[in-house]
Amino acid sequence: MGLLSKKDVALIKDPLADNNPITIQVLGICSALAITAELEAAIVMSVSVLFVLGIGNVVISLMRNIIPSKIRIIVQLIVVAALVIIVDQVLKAFAYELSKTLSVFVGLIITNCIIMGRFEAFALGNGPWKSFLDGIGNALGYGAILIIVAFFRELLGAGTLLGYKVLGDPIEKTGLYAIGYENNGFMIMPPMALIVVGIIIWVQRTRNKALIED
Amino acid sequence: MSNKTDSNVYTILFAIAMVIVVGGLLAFTASALRPRIDNNERLEKQQNILYAMGVNDNDESSAVFVSTNEAPELFKKYITKQLVIQDGKVSEDNEAYLIDVKKEQANAKAGKARRLPLFVGEKDGKTFYIAPIRGKGLWDAIWGYIAMDKSMVVQGAYFDHKGETAGLGANIKQRFFMDDFIGENLMSNGTFKGIRVAKGNNDPKNTDKNDNEVDAIAGATITGDGVSAMLKSELSQYVSYFKTLK
Amino acid sequence: MEHLELFLKSIFIDNMVFSVFLGMCSYLAVSKKVSTAVGLGAAVIFVLLVTVPLNWLLDQYILQPGALSWLGEEYASYDLSFLSFIMFIATIATMVQLVEIIVEKFAPALYNSLGIFLPLIAVNCAILGGSLFMQSREIPTLSLATVYGLGSGIGWFLAILAIAAIREKIRYSNVPPALRGLGITFIITGLMAIGFMSFGGMLTGGDEEKKDKNETANIELEKGNENDVADNTIKVIE
Repeated sequence: MGLLSKKDVALIKDPLADNNPITIQVLGICSALAITAELEAAIVMSVSVLFVLGIGNVVISLMRNIIPSKIRIIVQLIVVAALVIIVDQVLKAFAYELSKTLSVFVGLIITNCIIMGRFEAFALGNGPWKSFLDGIGNALGYGAILIIVAFFRELLGAGTLLGYKVLGDPIEKTGLYAIGYENNGFMIMPPMALIVVGIIIWVQRTRNKALIED
Repeated sequence: MSNKTDSNVYTILFAIAMVIVVGGLLAFTASALRPRIDNNERLEKQQNILYAMGVNDNDESSAVFVSTNEAPELFKKYITKQLVIQDGKVSEDNEAYLIDVKKEQANAKAGKARRLPLFVGEKDGKTFYIAPIRGKGLWDAIWGYIAMDKSMVVQGAYFDHKGETAGLGANIKQRFFMDDFIGENLMSNGTFKGIRVAKGNNDPKNTDKNDNEVDAIAGATITGDGVSAMLKSELSQYVSYFKTLK
Repeated sequence: MEHLELFLKSIFIDNMVFSVFLGMCSYLAVSKKVSTAVGLGAAVIFVLLVTVPLNWLLDQYILQPGALSWLGEEYASYDLSFLSFIMFIATIATMVQLVEIIVEKFAPALYNSLGIFLPLIAVNCAILGGSLFMQSREIPTLSLATVYGLGSGIGWFLAILAIAAIREKIRYSNVPPALRGLGITFIITGLMAIGFMSFGGMLTGGDEEKKDKNETANIELEKGNENDVADNTIKVIE
């Protein structure tokens, strides 16, 4: 870790647990609910956010001294939107298969408040290198929650992980289903994502009492 | 923030510069990449149509298209005729697969005549009639291609979507859903009835092929209703053509 | 009738918070007190009411493929739809900033109570979601777009009002410490969303049946003329 000072490490590590964007900062909730019925989608979304937040933070940080404060929200939104649209167009031209998987997420990335939130809270006041690390750290923390939620929802709701039938076949009655196990179809309904996130918050705050609200 | 960046003149100049830079960048990428993107979309349409008539590289459980390199050649080989039906008149058009169904639907709504493309394919001595369909899901557009025989029994189906929920509505493009349609009859006692994506029907393994129903995806009611609706509204327009076939 | 249906549908069935889960961030962050929730909710209603019709006009006359035909035939083939995200966002951010300036100038009292929430609205994904839904669902007229904007806004207002009221009451309950605040809010929202799922059949169920009947009637009329053809088709099937 010669390259990273202690502070730099903290920038990446904090958002993973004690300052998690979803469970503590309440950012990026919409997408956490919309795409966690399936593990694969959650992973794709996490990687896209990692990419956009890392680069976006650097761009905003480089521009931080020339952005007029009156219109900074418009400027930030336009930077993200332009970045995402250009990437989408390039993928459509050169990696069409990949772009089809990702195109669903384009809108979700632009409207993801985690991106605006980090621009506003960090990149506007810090240098590019630190902003980059902050972006990476927050995206990882965001991805971690997404993947945990998606893991449980796909496993309990559909009996699969990444599409593989890990619990056996529900129609042919093999594996766990042979002894009477049933999928809980309710787990893949969107409201259950809220409840799963609620439980994650519960577990996290039980382990770290400092995070408990009054 | 320094005073410099707070002045109105600076703000306005910055906004103008921003619009020019971003607008220019977007317009440049869009126009520079347009030919490649168009080509990719054309290949995808060919792959979709071939998929519906059973020309695909499917493995045991997942849907796989023929490769983009082979698509144009296979398309020429298997698709023998491309028809356009307009006001009951049928004509041939080798570019019919490029007809934009969305635009045609808008034309129909505006009271103009709609062009209905239909592709005729031959494979292993069987004739397939493949029609494109388009409708609305929960979030955004859904579309697909349905291959039928001449009495409107489905021989293959391909569905796709723009932004349905992953794990729920997005599953319309999964094999387990698309394959359910194979063998289903769109007609019922000689009248067009469509195929309904039905919740809680008595036939989850889909053995009854004449019930005009397939099993719905749990948690994807609105997307499923969208599929039922587009099958009905789009394919019913082809009924009069199929009646001339027998 | 169409307007009333879309209005009710956008409030209850397609509720921005409970069925499409948009605008969650500010919904969770600003729902600690009823009074602030009402302020933000009202601002969201207003901004949706203004931006959805505005973006509808943009979409119809600038962005859609062929939308530029009013400029002349040679422009008819232009397709600017790749710009929709940017244009919609720009409209929203501009409107929010404009509303802020106007309210500050003419109603300083309202500005003081709303002040801090106005900039928050620009990043509320319910607002952009409203415009994107309007586009992808191809809402046909300007008046319907206005109704849709208003309905979605009221739906969001209702949601944040309800959760704020519950959170005020729940302060007196004995919630497990680790669940207090955000955790229990998530779970309550989940339960409310399950409740809202039951609105799902309110309009669509009846609709489908009616449509079904109409269409069968139409097809049967057609069938009357072509009875022999139909008979033949049956034979083929059998």
